[in-house]
Amino acid sequence: MIDPLAYALVAAGLVLGIWCGIQGYRKLPTNDPLMIGAIVLEVGLLVQSGIGIARLQSAHLAEPVTFLAYAIGILLPLPLGFFLARIERTSWGSNTLGVTAAVAGVMTLRLLQIWRSGLG
Amino acid sequence: MADPTLPDPTLPDPTSEPPPTGPRRILIALYLIFAVAATARGIVQLATTFHAAPLAYTLSLCSGIIYIGAAVGLVTSRWWSRRLAWGACGTELVGVLVIGTASLIDRAAFPKDTVWSRFGSGYGYFPLLLPLLGLMWLWYSRPGADD
Repeated sequence: MIDPLAYALVAAGLVLGIWCGIQGYRKLPTNDPLMIGAIVLEVGLLVQSGIGIARLQSAHLAEPVTFLAYAIGILLPLPLGFFLARIERTSWGSNTLGVTAAVAGVMTLRLLQIWRSGLG
Repeated sequence: MADPTLPDPTLPDPTSEPPPTGPRRILIALYLIFAVAATARGIVQLATTFHAAPLAYTLSLCSGIIYIGAAVGLVTSRWWSRRLAWGACGTELVGVLVIGTASLIDRAAFPKDTVWSRFGSGYGYFPLLLPLLGLMWLWYSRPGADD
């Protein structure tokens, strides 16, 4: 894993979560910038998981299986939020996408923890 | 993809109360995330270090299966959907309260954390919050509830 990328993804997840929350608070459905933001964030997560899994062998982690589960699991919340925001064209769609974005950010932090604890 | 169980989404006007489908979406998202998280955690722990804490790990897997049940109950709209959701959310609430309390009283029995340990503090107390939200939604959206 690459630290700056991970921190950028944590920040992006939380910013997107808050941005969606504001949109939801204003009783608005998600708009194009939010959806594009979600796609960009997901691409970033994909790159991160790809790098993490590629380096898994040489990293000698204490819990490689847990890392692998997180690296794959972290890719799931955002597409789910994206899909739900697409069919729920109300402020609740914004809230849902916001929650999933924040979850992705927090999971990135956990992923980084697992990576670090293994490197010792 | 249109959900055939829902009323026409063009109907609600933005000034009125949000339609009851909205909160359900956010619950579906949260429950699915927790279903995957808890089930995966249970499977990984059971597969790699079963001997370390069989009770805790089995509980993790059980909680994951119950989250899956709740998610299925929320996603589908069959005659058994609401019953399943009621059952799953109720079980979760009891589970998180019992395991949460037990993990505080008898730490030796829970050397490793489960999703429900210490009322789900490892997951931002969402395991405690989630069944409450689920039961609230089931109550407010129950058939025959006044609009």
